[in-house]
Amino acid sequence: MSFGRAFSRLTAALALTVVVLASACTSSGTPSASSSQAAAVPVSGGTVTIPIVADPTLNPWSPNAFVESVFVNRVLFDGLTKPGKDLAPAADLATSWETSADGLSWTFHLREGVKWSDGHAFSADDVAFTFNDVVLKKELAANSAGNFSAVKTVVVVDPKTARFDLSRPFAALPSYLAYNAGLLPKHVLAADPLKTTSFNKGIPVSTGPFKVEKYTAGQNVTLVRNDNYFGPKAYLDRVVFSVVPDPNTQIAQALSGDIGIMLLDDKAAVDRVKSASNLVVAARPLVQYYWLALNQVDARFTDTKVRQAIEYAIDRKAIINAVERGYGSIANSAISPALKAFYDPSLESRYPYDAAKAKALLAEAGWIAGPDGVVVKDGKPFRFTMDVGQKGPLEPVNALIQQDLKKVGIVADLNTMEWNSYIQKVVVRRDYTATVNWWIYPSDPDVFPYYHSSTAGAGFNIPGFKDAKLDEILVRGQSTSDLEKRKGVYKELQTYMADNLPYLFLWYPQEIDVLSSSLHGVPDLGLRDGMHYIGEWFLAKK
Amino acid sequence: MSGALVILFTSALTFFFVNLAPGGPASISNMQATPEQRAVLIKAMGLDRPVGERYATWLGGAVRGDLGTSLNTDQPVGVLVAERLPNTLTLAGAALLLACLLGLPMGIFQALRRDTWMDHVLSLASAIGLAVPVFWLGIVLILIFAVSLHVLPSAGIASVADGSFGDRLAHLVLPTVALTTTILPTVVRFMRSSLIDVLGTEYMRTATAKGLSLRVVLGRHGLPNALIPVVSAVGALVPRLLGGTVVTEAVFGWPGMGRLALDAANGRDYPLVTGLVVVIAAIAVATSMIVDLLYVRLDPRIRLA
Repeated sequence: MSFGRAFSRLTAALALTVVVLASACTSSGTPSASSSQAAAVPVSGGTVTIPIVADPTLNPWSPNAFVESVFVNRVLFDGLTKPGKDLAPAADLATSWETSADGLSWTFHLREGVKWSDGHAFSADDVAFTFNDVVLKKELAANSAGNFSAVKTVVVVDPKTARFDLSRPFAALPSYLAYNAGLLPKHVLAADPLKTTSFNKGIPVSTGPFKVEKYTAGQNVTLVRNDNYFGPKAYLDRVVFSVVPDPNTQIAQALSGDIGIMLLDDKAAVDRVKSASNLVVAARPLVQYYWLALNQVDARFTDTKVRQAIEYAIDRKAIINAVERGYGSIANSAISPALKAFYDPSLESRYPYDAAKAKALLAEAGWIAGPDGVVVKDGKPFRFTMDVGQKGPLEPVNALIQQDLKKVGIVADLNTMEWNSYIQKVVVRRDYTATVNWWIYPSDPDVFPYYHSSTAGAGFNIPGFKDAKLDEILVRGQSTSDLEKRKGVYKELQTYMADNLPYLFLWYPQEIDVLSSSLHGVPDLGLRDGMHYIGEWFLAKK
Repeated sequence: MSGALVILFTSALTFFFVNLAPGGPASISNMQATPEQRAVLIKAMGLDRPVGERYATWLGGAVRGDLGTSLNTDQPVGVLVAERLPNTLTLAGAALLLACLLGLPMGIFQALRRDTWMDHVLSLASAIGLAVPVFWLGIVLILIFAVSLHVLPSAGIASVADGSFGDRLAHLVLPTVALTTTILPTVVRFMRSSLIDVLGTEYMRTATAKGLSLRVVLGRHGLPNALIPVVSAVGALVPRLLGGTVVTEAVFGWPGMGRLALDAANGRDYPLVTGLVVVIAAIAVATSMIVDLLYVRLDPRIRLA
């Protein structure tokens, strides 16, 4: 099993060599800028191919709908809201919404004249079905149901109005409804909402600008324009999600012109792709951050000075340059710069790389360097194990952190594991001391699930950090729906996080998208969010 | 009978090992799953029951032809395997055919030109061929023939819009070439050493001494005898070939069992992994039976009563 991982790492390393060699035989044009994307005039027609790594499950709430499914499901299944081009929630199947004075309910006014791809009319019954009979049914374990734990029930006020009744205020609900929360057709799935194979692996009934034409297992899912779509007709005739598991093969396919748009996971290949005349590279904002969790069960890490010392000790700029090729920025809180309305840029210089400062803070915390350079407290050297999952850039990142820590007298041993085993040990069993990983979260500063003390131990609060003040700010944010007031609360949250470091924040990555130079109309969003605008994409005539 | 025992033993071994591996099915071993969701899913998949009991249930279904339900796709394992099996057999069959078409003449040539510089060059080429990793060769082939020369498709089994026989054949070329390299050097070596052994025998010297031409000596006496051990060697290569499909199918996006097995193993899809291994074991058993039958045809000393 770890063979698969080792193999893909080796492939990545070797393929880079080959890619560089191959640049000698392919024509190399001038690097195109993403700004060249704006000029063309929209025309109808054509097919865009998007690679995904495995067969998708065409049901956003299936526990088996993983990342490969997200891309397809965001095209097929509209939510009540969608991520706006500024990432604020925008109208989709709901055109407007408001909350009650006590914040304990949200009312959504649904769009008129929406039809499912089979011609059946969409109504508030479908909203109630999706939530009451799927998401809130605990025994179904619906994907990302945890995002809606504040929802008690959905009430059909009338066929065009649905009301979400809450157990506690949840100001972020409209944002969360834009995040993998597509609506399901009651008239098709009432019998078995999550395991109907003819739907999940066949031709589902959906509301989006495209609908499934054909699902060929192991090969591709072909989408055609949905003539029942409520919005403007999509420009493209077809969208093909092609199953290409190997990331290097995906790059080769892009170079040979077989791919319309793809997400480039391995940033080491970015220069090669940039030099191809038929491709355009775009750096997109992401609601994601990498972190180092220090398990609060370990008394050494409960000292704020120690956490701050480690934050100073890690040369995060060097990490961004090495593993992200510079596509990212230093993080000192959980709120990503992609959330422009909330992000506080004044915190960017909070923890500059400073080994001397780190040593001073360690000394203040009682950790004094011994003769071998390792810091010691109560006769015990500062030594711990970091569990490393084999995924994305995690292995080189951990190696760099290990070197940085050594410079301030901390010994970190790396324990590298295959990803599935890693999740089981670190996330499920919480059997770890320190580990690096990341969160991707809905486009809203409400990060309650990852920080509140109620989620420590087994929930998403991986370090198990519990702090009454932090809890108070998080709850206050959930109870504040006025935008300007929310901004104030989340500015306070960012400052508090930066000062206290519940997780050690590392960096905000950018996403690298590779586009065919003839593809236009793709918004400046991460590709998952950009899928909501696929109706606006078009292929310029050559 | 012994074949059935092999398959039974393999299924038990696989089932217990894959269940003992750390980790869990993809929906459980998922950063985004809450503890409550995990608890529900573990119960729904029956993973709270002891492994022995689960194996007994699986075996009870398997003997009646039901290989269980995939944990990560909710589809019957039998259906998933049936979708992929023909694709893997096509790829493996094409590679085996190509390896024999190239390997047997090369081996004969090397045996007849034993210890000449050409023999040494080809032996060196074989050694290099064995050492080159398939995934690397695969990417190189794609970059040369699909990206630079645009003469062959880069991945997949057929074009979305086309899917004709010619289109499918074009898609088959690169993965077949890549997979062939995993067994070709072995075929060449076996053919070479086997023929060299035969060339040294007394009956060959007698035949040559009688004044028969080289062609007759080889055709009537040499090759039929030299091929016997080669047939069993090629039969023994089939499991290795199926192993090679795992990597080849991943690189070329070939929708076969190898890729399915890789995904199933990474996602701890216990019934799917077991089902795939059982099917592969059955193919290996069937191959060895076919080899035994071929033996009878090739070796006049063996006659079935």
